[in-house]
Amino acid sequence: MISLTHFLVVGAVLFGLGLVGFLTRRNLITLFLCAELMLQGVVLNFLAFGRMHGSLNGQVFGLFIITVAASEAGLGLALFLMLYRRGRSLDSGIWQTIREQGVPSVVDSEPLPKVIEDVHPVLTVAGHKPGVGSPTEGASRA
Amino acid sequence: MPPELSNPKLQLAFALALGVLGTYLLLPKPKSRSIALGTFALVAALAIFVAFTVQSFGQPIGELVPDILFWLFSTGAIAFGALLVTQRNPARGAIAFAFVILSSCGLFLLLAAPFLMAATIIIYAGAIIVTFLFVLMLSNVKGPSNENDRVREPLLGSLAGFAFTGLILFALLQSKPAEAATDEPAEPEFALPAPLLTKDDRIALREVRIQLDAALVESDANAAEEKAKSAHDKLAETIGGNGVMGLRKPVLERLRPLIGDPKLPTTHDPRLLAFTKQTLQLQKTNDDFEEKYVMAGPGMEDKASLRKLRDEVTVYSGNGQLPARNVGNVGLLLYSEHLLAVEMAGTLLMVATIGAVAIAGRKKGVSV
Repeated sequence: MISLTHFLVVGAVLFGLGLVGFLTRRNLITLFLCAELMLQGVVLNFLAFGRMHGSLNGQVFGLFIITVAASEAGLGLALFLMLYRRGRSLDSGIWQTIREQGVPSVVDSEPLPKVIEDVHPVLTVAGHKPGVGSPTEGASRA
Repeated sequence: MPPELSNPKLQLAFALALGVLGTYLLLPKPKSRSIALGTFALVAALAIFVAFTVQSFGQPIGELVPDILFWLFSTGAIAFGALLVTQRNPARGAIAFAFVILSSCGLFLLLAAPFLMAATIIIYAGAIIVTFLFVLMLSNVKGPSNENDRVREPLLGSLAGFAFTGLILFALLQSKPAEAATDEPAEPEFALPAPLLTKDDRIALREVRIQLDAALVESDANAAEEKAKSAHDKLAETIGGNGVMGLRKPVLERLRPLIGDPKLPTTHDPRLLAFTKQTLQLQKTNDDFEEKYVMAGPGMEDKASLRKLRDEVTVYSGNGQLPARNVGNVGLLLYSEHLLAVEMAGTLLMVATIGAVAIAGRKKGVSV
């Protein structure tokens, strides 16, 4: 039979996963989703304890947590928009320029993988004689 | 399984170590990450983790459907949560988060909170769509980028998160009471909802039921009367005097005038009120039984009262129903006990809305 502890375990794991994401990821939107994941773990704890004691106060706390999460979402996304306008990126790493004096900056030493763009063939414009070289060449000659 | 692997602490340590390894391997990195090895480590961690939970906190037996639903929803929430954390593409992360919300809403329903389930789905449906819009608008999902392909301290971050989880699980393991060897059917120590009757109460009630059943089928009138009398005494001792009524007397006496009141305050546990009503009813039936059966002369015993008592004892010993009127009770509780908190939550939302508009609005003369 499923007991209180089972729900507490799931809540703890959700909180832990959210914490890992919040500490490691650099995308501001993913950070926000990870914070929401932690809140879900907390709500689960409140509901399980409320159910155990046969009290509805756990559910009321859950509702208040959702209210706080909604406020956080509104403010957080507005903040992300403002930060994006200034930095043209959602990377939280670019804001290390406002770090404390004397703290060394984090440098990304590993280069990002280069993307090899696919070169698609371009067909000659309809009504023009195909050329020998590039398709535009044929079009210009025509 | 070798005996050393059945040690819960060892299982917990293994699950956490594999969890750290799997998350570390799966977290986005500029160079190729080991997806196969990371997934294998995380799945192995999940399997060991399930074994640890089942072994330490009870095997899912008894009610099959809620158990299956619990494992389905909890595995879904954890698996999609891991996907959200390790997913390189934030749009896919948002979809994984939507599944986390759906899974946890299923768990809310299992915890008898249908209103909160509906509220969460409605609120997060909007939130996720807005998040999705932001991802599509702002995030660079076409090629490699610093925000999606790099992480900050992957090893230390994974260690911190899993150490925190491990600490909580270890504390839960330590707080688990030692199992007592009894012939009572296995029951979790922290049952949901908490049992209103103690283990001793239930054993006594089972004996009463067995004696009443035996009295019903006994052909010898004297032996039947003897058994019925013994059951009556035991029941009176269990639910009255020093029994259920006696132990919970302060609570029951406080609740007694509220029973039957249409404006029943929800601050009191409705389950406890129902239980009190049932206890008082059983006491009355037991008194009637004494009058109509035990005190009646030979050959005048009322068999119907014996059967009624047996039925009521059977129902009484299996307490623990879902609370009814969830939405009404939550509403009443919000607007009676937590009115100030509701006002504050409303104010918080309004301030957050004004703040969001102020932050996101373009300032005149500032070129950004």
